[in-house]
Amino acid sequence: MTQPFLSIKGIRKTYGQVIAVKNVTLDVAQGEFMTFLGPSGSGKSTTLYILAGFQDPTDGDILLNGQSLLSTPSHKRNIGMVFQRYTLFPHLTVGENVAFPLRIRRVGQAEIAERVSKALKLVRLEGFEDRKPALMSGGQQQRVALARALVYNPPVLLMDEPLSALDKKLREEIQFEIRRIHQETGVTILYVTHDQEEALRLSDRIAVFSQGEIDQIGTGQELYANPATHFVAGFIGDSNFINAEVLSSADGKAKLALPGGTVIDGVPMHAGKTGGKSASLLLRPERLSLSSHQVANGLAVTINDITFLGNNIEVSTRTGNGESLSVRLPFGHEAIASISRGDQAWLSFEPKSTHAFA
Amino acid sequence: MLLDFEKLGILRPFLIGLTALVCLFLILPIVFIAALSFGSSQWLIFPPPSWTFKWYQMLFADPRWLYSALTSLKIAAIVTVLSVVIGFLAALGLNRGSFFGREALRALFLTPMILPVVVLAVALYALFLQLGLAGTTVGFIIAHLLIALPFSIISIGNALEGFDKSIEDAAILCGASPWEARIRVTVPAVSHGIFAAAIFSFLASWDEVVLAIFMASPTLQTLPVKIWATLRQDLTPVIAAASTILIAFTILLMVLAALFRKGRKA
Amino acid sequence: MVVSATTDGGQRKIRRNGSFGYVVPALLLIAFFFIIPVLMLLMRSVLEPTPGLQNYRELLGSTTYLRVFMNTFTVAGLVTVVAVVIGFPVAWLLAIMPDKWSRLVMAIIILSMWTNLLARTYAWMVLLQRTGVVNKMLINLGIIDKPLALVNNLVGVTIGMTYIMLPFVILPLIGILKSIDPAVLRAAALCGANKRQCFTRVLLPLSLPGIASGALMVFVMSLGYYVTPALLGGTSNMMLAELVAQFVQSLVNWGMGGAAALVLLVVTLVLYAVQLKFLNPNRAR
Ligand SMILES: Nc1ncnc2c1ncn2[C@@H]1O[C@H](COP(=O)(O)OP(=O)(O)OP(=O)(O)O)[C@@H](O)[C@H]1O
Ligand SMILES: [Mg+2]
Repeated sequence: MTQPFLSIKGIRKTYGQVIAVKNVTLDVAQGEFMTFLGPSGSGKSTTLYILAGFQDPTDGDILLNGQSLLSTPSHKRNIGMVFQRYTLFPHLTVGENVAFPLRIRRVGQAEIAERVSKALKLVRLEGFEDRKPALMSGGQQQRVALARALVYNPPVLLMDEPLSALDKKLREEIQFEIRRIHQETGVTILYVTHDQEEALRLSDRIAVFSQGEIDQIGTGQELYANPATHFVAGFIGDSNFINAEVLSSADGKAKLALPGGTVIDGVPMHAGKTGGKSASLLLRPERLSLSSHQVANGLAVTINDITFLGNNIEVSTRTGNGESLSVRLPFGHEAIASISRGDQAWLSFEPKSTHAFA
Repeated sequence: MLLDFEKLGILRPFLIGLTALVCLFLILPIVFIAALSFGSSQWLIFPPPSWTFKWYQMLFADPRWLYSALTSLKIAAIVTVLSVVIGFLAALGLNRGSFFGREALRALFLTPMILPVVVLAVALYALFLQLGLAGTTVGFIIAHLLIALPFSIISIGNALEGFDKSIEDAAILCGASPWEARIRVTVPAVSHGIFAAAIFSFLASWDEVVLAIFMASPTLQTLPVKIWATLRQDLTPVIAAASTILIAFTILLMVLAALFRKGRKA
Repeated sequence: MVVSATTDGGQRKIRRNGSFGYVVPALLLIAFFFIIPVLMLLMRSVLEPTPGLQNYRELLGSTTYLRVFMNTFTVAGLVTVVAVVIGFPVAWLLAIMPDKWSRLVMAIIILSMWTNLLARTYAWMVLLQRTGVVNKMLINLGIIDKPLALVNNLVGVTIGMTYIMLPFVILPLIGILKSIDPAVLRAAALCGANKRQCFTRVLLPLSLPGIASGALMVFVMSLGYYVTPALLGGTSNMMLAELVAQFVQSLVNWGMGGAAALVLLVVTLVLYAVQLKFLNPNRAR
């Protein structure tokens, strides 16, 4: 077995009564783009801060190339980081900021100049050497911060929501740059965000954080198609959940009774601890089809509203016992013409494509 | 990391140790004076050979101490009222007005605070000698008002800054006259600033020494002048007793201010 | 005065919102009892005993008075340096330590600041006297074997003044240090800078404007102090404010008194202007 490049082993961090990180274990391959995705307060930043050495874990270990990092102070870890807030040194120019890590490392003057201009070129800020950070936009400042974090060729780059202060358009532009830089430099990146679109766009793999733990690690497609928990299912992609009764389950497949009496079989079942009789059924809006007449194994709903969203149409519906379900139909779907608000309609879906969480 | 308390490393015990020393440096003289005021030694030997109330008895037995304290109190009270009223008006004018030279005027109003008091004292003394105000209560009040006023203007000005004038306009639209609106709406809304102004003005006058030395006459002395005059002769423990009473008074004011702040938050 | 200086537009504004009336009481007070008396005093410095600059010539030309200037600047400079060197680490800790501890330290600082100036000075007179606690302690610790003269000289003045000025250094510096984002220092550490490098290359440069501004303020305040130098320094170690008072009180020499006051005033205002123009931390940011 080859040893993983970066290995986070059973990290735990508590502040008095507060558990910031409960138990995080994770291996990252060299050159991988790994994203920590999760809601606010789920422990993403804390995990990153432990990697950077700003905080000591209560328990657990971190290995880089098999060597524990914990006893190494931050300034000797040789890790790069871009922060959520702007952290350029306000008293130094852009060039001096990027040169700072090299000066500390006593790199020669000529080499500093060369590497600084290379790093600034990488983030497309050639010619900004003499600007003061205060005179630059937020996006530019974060790109300088990126150059400063990369100029000393760290094996690992940490990024804690670096784009969260920027507006959407600029964010997308810099996401594109980050991808390019990742490809050009081959640096291993650990990226924190609570924006699923950003995570999906950037990452090789995503670790979904929830309440101080990782619920699931996988590529975006895996997480979308095969969510391991109710939380992941709700967090990645759009989702509807309805309550269902578990009639029987075996080999990870379940037979369920839906409200209104419809019975479906062969639903992938993710058992919780209880193995209880009721389950939550995940129905993706784009995997539902809608028809104005009754269909076999269909779910009877009432049409609440129909919204035109450009290339598709969102229909919000309500089941007999009052659960809302939204359905996304491609523009020009035949059912649209025949339904209107208040009508009765039937939803159908492929049982194999859904997931039940007990 | 240098600004993360948990990650200061060896700097942490160093900073904590130094801060503890500075705290001792700041508090010890005050504690020491309080302790000596109960000590029996005329020469302020520490630790005192035995404990006594005699310095307090001497303090209260001498009517001049009591009289000077009352003088201080009277002057400080009048100065406080005048400083708050004039300061409120000035802060209102500076806050609301858009007249020419407003910023220069603000700076002018605050200069008595930054100027060496001794210059002001000597200048006022010269003027008061000519006007016949030297050694009078009026002279004292004017002198102290000059250094109390900047505190009022700053405190009330800051409070007014945080007060939305449209609330006052709303009261006027409800039928209140402008002054009615100001007294019923604006004054209560900036009451914390007025309270701060009152405390600072009172203390500015109550504790003031330099102007007082020049304004005083043998028959009209404030408490600081009395202490000063006594100190120039010898270091009698009676001063320790008087100082201790002043310190207790200060602590009382601090507690009051803290309670007031807490009450506002609740 | 101010009204006549305004343009037509300005006068219309005054009339329109009427706010100028509110500042009139304060303005009259300041004009009559501040501006006029100070100007009159300065006039006397060039008119008495005979018109001319002889008062200034004497003040700036004689070694007696030159020593007073030396004393003043030495003490003010020393007090400033000591207060900043001690005050900066305290402010640093206060800016980052948990609230419940910093509140206690703040209470101590504010108590010492609010305590009557004479009471504090008296305390130091007692503490520093020949038979005082400080000398006793130093002897008991074996550091000295004969009591040192700590009062009636500039040592006493410096200690007493530092005691008074420390809060004026610490309190504004706390604000300055709190306004520095800790993440900037974390970034510096990850860039490879050790504690000393983080301090000299990031923390210190970032707090320097605040330190300079606070230092200058303390320096200016120290220059004009009267009570503490008079009580702790004794008559032979006079400072400028005492000189002003002495000319007027004991010597009744208004010409020289006015001249000395003017020197003090000009130095103060010039330094204050420097502070406003170059060192205002609010403007630098
Ligand atoms: N210094 C601290 N003291 C006490 N609790 C803390 C501290 N730092 C973090 N926490 C708590 O730990 C939990 C995890 O925090 P963390 O910052 O890691 O979350 P996050 O996933 O990064 O969230 P966000 O998206 O808001 O940045 C939170 O509940 C937070 O309140
Ligand atoms: Mg975070």
